[in-house]
Amino acid sequence: MSTMNTSAVSGIDGHGDSLWLKAARKFKRDRVGMWALFGVFIYAVIALGVVFGFWGGAWADVTGPKWAPVSAEYWFGTNIIGQDIFARALYSTRTAFEVGLLVAIGATALGAVFGAVAGFFSGTWIDEIIIWVMGVLDSVPFILLVAAIAYSLGGSPWAMHIAMIATFWIGTARLVRGEVIKLKTLEYVEAAHAIGLGKVKIIFRHILPNTFHILLVQATISFVAAIKSEVILSFLGLGVKDGMSWGLMISESTFEVLAGFFNNFIAASVLMFGLVMAFNMFSDALQDALDPRSVK
Amino acid sequence: MVRAVATCQTWVSLALLLVPLVACSPGENAVAKAVPGQKAFRYSLDSAPTSLDPVRASTLYANQIVVNLYDTLYAYKYLQRPYELKPLLAEAMPDISADGLVYTIRLKQGVHFIDDIAFPDGRGREVIADDFVYSLQRHFDPATRPGGTWLWQGRIEGLDDWKKTGSDYAQPVSGLRALDRYTVQIKLTKPYPQLVDTLAQGFSGIVPHEAVEHYGREFSVNPVGSGPFHLVSYDTTKAVLLPNPAFRQEPVDLVFEGYNSDTQGQYGIDIIEGRSPPFLDRLEIAFIKEGSARWSSFTKDNEIQYAGLPNEQVNRVLASTVPVILKPEYAERYHMRSALEAGFVFSAFNMDFPEFGYNENPVREQRNHALRCAIIKGFDWRSRNDSWYSNLGVIFPGVIPPAVPEYDTTLSAASVSYDPEGARTLLAANNWNAENLPVLVYGTTPGPTSRLFYEQFRAWMKRIGYPPENIQLKTYATFGDIAKAWRNSELPLISKGWGLDYPDAENTLQLFYGPNGSPGSNDGNYNNPEYDDMFRQASVMQPSPERTALYRHMNRLIINDCAAITGLSRRGIALWHKNVIALPDRNFVGGRFLKYVDIVQPES
Repeated sequence: MSTMNTSAVSGIDGHGDSLWLKAARKFKRDRVGMWALFGVFIYAVIALGVVFGFWGGAWADVTGPKWAPVSAEYWFGTNIIGQDIFARALYSTRTAFEVGLLVAIGATALGAVFGAVAGFFSGTWIDEIIIWVMGVLDSVPFILLVAAIAYSLGGSPWAMHIAMIATFWIGTARLVRGEVIKLKTLEYVEAAHAIGLGKVKIIFRHILPNTFHILLVQATISFVAAIKSEVILSFLGLGVKDGMSWGLMISESTFEVLAGFFNNFIAASVLMFGLVMAFNMFSDALQDALDPRSVK
Repeated sequence: MVRAVATCQTWVSLALLLVPLVACSPGENAVAKAVPGQKAFRYSLDSAPTSLDPVRASTLYANQIVVNLYDTLYAYKYLQRPYELKPLLAEAMPDISADGLVYTIRLKQGVHFIDDIAFPDGRGREVIADDFVYSLQRHFDPATRPGGTWLWQGRIEGLDDWKKTGSDYAQPVSGLRALDRYTVQIKLTKPYPQLVDTLAQGFSGIVPHEAVEHYGREFSVNPVGSGPFHLVSYDTTKAVLLPNPAFRQEPVDLVFEGYNSDTQGQYGIDIIEGRSPPFLDRLEIAFIKEGSARWSSFTKDNEIQYAGLPNEQVNRVLASTVPVILKPEYAERYHMRSALEAGFVFSAFNMDFPEFGYNENPVREQRNHALRCAIIKGFDWRSRNDSWYSNLGVIFPGVIPPAVPEYDTTLSAASVSYDPEGARTLLAANNWNAENLPVLVYGTTPGPTSRLFYEQFRAWMKRIGYPPENIQLKTYATFGDIAKAWRNSELPLISKGWGLDYPDAENTLQLFYGPNGSPGSNDGNYNNPEYDDMFRQASVMQPSPERTALYRHMNRLIINDCAAITGLSRRGIALWHKNVIALPDRNFVGGRFLKYVDIVQPES
């Protein structure tokens, strides 16, 4: 059946290659997209280097004097208590990826499941309940929701992740629902019904895989949104509890900037800008490449 | 006809409605904005008080305003340093019996409360001895939710029993009586040398019972006192006070107030000599939490005229920190005063935690002592002073800060010397290693500064071999939450600042007195019988070399027991505009200096 559904989608353009192969070809031709991917790759390498202990491990150590300027020893200078800003900025890349990946995977998975179920059962009470839940969660201001979740979880370090997943899945679910409503009327799904396959199997084995192009794009969007939200939430004291992040660095810099010391602020802002920009451009390129209407 | 009457009534009603509006207009405008030519002083505080009722004047912010609205029997002299008490509403210093148990205080005659609708004819009546008795009794009435009970608890004969029997104001208290219209008698259960100091605090502000009864809970925002100012508007951003027109005429005697022309001459204070305060036409107190916003408002020149120098502006504003000197461009525009706080910051170990404090196993207790001493050796006070206080603070050993006369200049500085090598040696000698060092939960409130305090502490501990993962952060949503955790003995280390209530080391030593353990002020639950005996002995002694010797001995016990990482007194730098004639002091004098503020060039 999986061969059947793939050809069903690839049949849109009438050529023999799959959507994925064509998308990959198109993506490779997109120079901006490739540069963006390279940028993301560099950040990923930095994050992995921190995970494996190659660099950034001394982010918490007090090694230098207060507000040391940029030097060969301290590439980005030191903060008010003498911590190496470069090490803290590198470590924050890991935090960004950790938050981005967890939230992107969690929100996409949740959105895929609920969107697919709602779409498959569109017009029924199941669909209505899921849409109602999405509407309710959408109506709560994001920061308030995070604060409420953080408070209810007693200051858990996962409160921020849970709050983001709890809100980010909705956008994905709405898109998947629409796609599934379209897909469920196609012949291959009717054939699956005809041979007696169960609804769960039809949804998750035969329909959902055909929404992967949407999920992939949505995952990249969630990734970027999670990084930005983490920075904002950490700045507000609702984010990272014990660790380091660009948001915390910017939060620290609020009183440093007034004293004329900008290193913390610049380091965190530039690194965050670079990653968000690269991921946004990567996401745009991916979206273009995976758009079935434009894949040739 | 009926219709015509109705129309007429409507017009009359409208006219009656408009009359008070028109009548109110000038007053409202006067409140809203200063009039050109007025002597207006725009002061600032870091936070807004939650209540202006003297029984709840627990915060520095409330106290600063309360002492300007209410009279107390005593006050600290405006300019005298070290601080010295003087009579305020009292006619003179108290007559004290030979055994130190009976205080007799005469009140000034002819002092009146401000006019208020709470009084039968709207005119403030005379302040009498019964008002003082009533005001102090309110601290023992649970209905007032008092904050200053601890000052007199167990001290005044019959007052605690009066509370136990229902706080009935009709019932007399044997130890707190008005002997006649102007004479108060206080009988103590045991000598209390700091009693007169307590009568100089905002807590002891004298209130009229008519106003308390009239306003009920709203009394906290409708103050009716006999102080130099009265309140005309108050919200979370600003309080506006106008001078009390009936305030008694008491010309300033600068010599009596402790004026020193050598050290205070540059402020121009001598112009108030012989004149009766208050000198202002209007006093505005802005509540601005953010230091940067306060600084920005201050430097605009047409907003607040007083601000503390924020830490982040020190390098920009000061030419030198030792001694504190302003850069010329700032010295041209502002007066400056730098002074050590009457208090200190410290971290007490919670001795009730068997991992760090007292332990049933004597061997472990010995090891815990070594562990605490090692942590103290690993604590880098100089770096803390540099990072957070621009090296302006004074680091001192023990818990008797430099602001009090009992401060011991001869004490060894070993307990405040950074010695990571010594700490590592001490840990190793007592079988402490990375595997068996206990988890230390570091409680804090949210915010980048609190986090960096924690990270700094953790980094220092790492240097002495303490695994960073064993220094764990626990964030409490508000200061109230962490204070509750301290009271409930939930944290092994209590990091806090303490501001002295009166200039007597007893006020800091009581922080380590055994019976004051959690939920009392001894958050660290330090419990040393020798210390407690000495504290009891000293608590009934008048200031003397013998009492000072006892205080200093107790101080050394705390150091030797490694009961606390202590301490540092912060230096505050206050700046005010050149046209403001004052010597601001936020320590014991609190907001009382506001009475003496004068403006030499009113705004045109």
